[in-house]
Amino acid sequence: MIDINPSGILVRYNVKMEKKMTPEEAAEELYPKDPTIYPIAKAIFEGEEDDVVEGLEKAIGSGKDPISLINGALMVGMGVVSRLYDEGVIFLPNVMLSADAMQAGIEFCKTKTSKVPESKGKVVCHVAEGDVHDIGKNIVAALLRANGYDVVDLGRDVPVDEVIAAVEKERPLMLTGTALMTTTMYAFKEINDKLLKKGIKIPFACGGGAVNQDFVSQYELGVYGEEASDAVKIADFIKENGNDIAKLRGIFHKH
Amino acid sequence: MAVTRCTKMAYAKADDMVFGRSVTPVKTGLGLEIGVGYTTPEVNYAPRPEAGASKEKLIKEYERITTDIMERMIQIGAPAVVLETEHVEQMSNHPDWGAAVAHAQKTIMENYHDEYGIKCALRHTIGDIREDRNYLKLRGDKYSVLMEAFEECAKAGADILAIESMGGKEVFDHAILRNDMAGILFGIGVLGSMDMEMIWQDITAIAKKTGTVSSGDTDCAQANTAMFIAGGLLDKNLAHTIAIIARSISAARSLVAYEAGAVGPGKDCGYENTIVKAVAGVPIAQEGKTSTCAHSDLMGNLTMQCCDLWSNESVEYHGEFGGTTVQCWSETLAYDCALMNVALDSGNEKILRDMFAASDMYRDAQGYVLAYPNAYRVGQAIAKDGNDIYLRAKNAALESIKIVEEGEKGKLELSRFEANALKDAKAAFEALTDDKDQFVSDCLTKYKNEVAVFLPENYGL
Repeated sequence: MIDINPSGILVRYNVKMEKKMTPEEAAEELYPKDPTIYPIAKAIFEGEEDDVVEGLEKAIGSGKDPISLINGALMVGMGVVSRLYDEGVIFLPNVMLSADAMQAGIEFCKTKTSKVPESKGKVVCHVAEGDVHDIGKNIVAALLRANGYDVVDLGRDVPVDEVIAAVEKERPLMLTGTALMTTTMYAFKEINDKLLKKGIKIPFACGGGAVNQDFVSQYELGVYGEEASDAVKIADFIKENGNDIAKLRGIFHKH
Repeated sequence: MAVTRCTKMAYAKADDMVFGRSVTPVKTGLGLEIGVGYTTPEVNYAPRPEAGASKEKLIKEYERITTDIMERMIQIGAPAVVLETEHVEQMSNHPDWGAAVAHAQKTIMENYHDEYGIKCALRHTIGDIREDRNYLKLRGDKYSVLMEAFEECAKAGADILAIESMGGKEVFDHAILRNDMAGILFGIGVLGSMDMEMIWQDITAIAKKTGTVSSGDTDCAQANTAMFIAGGLLDKNLAHTIAIIARSISAARSLVAYEAGAVGPGKDCGYENTIVKAVAGVPIAQEGKTSTCAHSDLMGNLTMQCCDLWSNESVEYHGEFGGTTVQCWSETLAYDCALMNVALDSGNEKILRDMFAASDMYRDAQGYVLAYPNAYRVGQAIAKDGNDIYLRAKNAALESIKIVEEGEKGKLELSRFEANALKDAKAAFEALTDDKDQFVSDCLTKYKNEVAVFLPENYGL
């Protein structure tokens, strides 16, 4: 092999720009100081399901309300995770492990009370009819749940009419659709048309594989999400500012 | 049909490997030879979304695509071309659709061959349709339809048969998002290999019956998923050091096609193909800078180093300033091949190969391991325990880790995140048993519990 000096050919920007602080140090600065909540939030960050449940048991034993712990401890820990992910300090597998741990924590809290936890809102997720590639949808669903949304996951290869029926029944704040293939993403247009025919105007966040902004812009309800994490940002925007598609496109259509 | 495991390297040393030449060339289609001393463009395309509305619309779309490519190849004086049609689901679920498209395409190609003498071949990559809404259904009725699709397309005009098989994907998808090394190894190295052993014996039998070429598979469903999730330098979804471990394991898996009778050319998006070529000696298709229309991969030149067919992965058919997309990309591929063929003709192929490799091998850990001298080493680690599909996949993982560690001591820079992920992965692989049965038993227990969509019966387990 020829010997070269790579520094004249390419730049490893990720090495150059890496933050000095380790993820653990960054998280430590963000954890709540309450000694009952701190171990739960830390266990969420570390993705340790058993430690999450152990922390919750102790907190409930000391008189904390199980439902209030969902927002007051589990979501706080997940907030640390989401913030550090957004800042590029931690990576997706850390988020997924934390999301698993948080779900385990929520399920545990539910067993300790008859009250029903409140969610930030409902989102219906699906993979286009004819398409079985669902890893993107699974990431979207996990990130939405981790951020406090109630996800109705219709799965993959979902017939158009089933999506319409689910939206009519659940009345979500938004619908998401993912697809890998050019021919399957055409179903998004059909969904758009059928929703409009029924007078339902909710943002329809689409992304994945062959899906691009130009295609999504062709139907009235479409909002393009380039990254899975955009789904959470779109949902948060709707919660804060309403579901105006033009405004959403103004922010999330970057090209 | 017997499966003959690869326990020796096809090439005596890494430096013997070049683009355009393989140990076992393949003759196919209309006068084409692959791996015999020249490289050939392989053009890949996807119909526009609305073309899937009916069989007639789909056939018409592929007729336009085929004519456009053949016409442009003649216009620029390209001596040879391969067309690859990756089935949309309708074409594999309804074998008569796939066959009708193959027939229409081949008829056009024959006309150009007859009139101009251009060497050409048609690859049909059947979609892996073996699944339903909730589960992979690798065996049973869907399997019968899949094999029917292969046979009907072969009879109708396809010269080269391929698939991107999905065995193991349900476990892999779960594992890759959780940095679970055992799951990655089980999904790709064990389940993927077991499934390939079944399907490639049957595809090879169909190829023999129809006088076509049983070509090869790619771990697109798994290793490419890892590569895409890893993304660019600033993306934060997966460490590139983990993506290259998945890729190295995938070489042990993709090799199974050739052990079950396939002869190449390997599929373009199998970035593991340099490793596979080192072990099996078959010709390979590759993609890189010419597949930026489909995705970004951080090794645009490097992948040309040992290719026999040079591909663009896939591009949606539509208009551009310079013609339709398939015309633009086929032309680009043809000029790249012309450059490689000049190098082969003038004895400069090793210089050009090394320039391709050197321009990308320090861009990230993936290119570093796939640079041909290192890819060869991964191949050796696989062949060393070639008879054990588990152990050889584990060897590939550990060898790739060793190569990256060595690289880090030299000119390969790693971020702290990448280095830590590598360290954790190394510890995880070193803690695994060497006993395949024990590993499979442990994984069955674990993943039946953790992955709701994992059905062991898909693999005869």
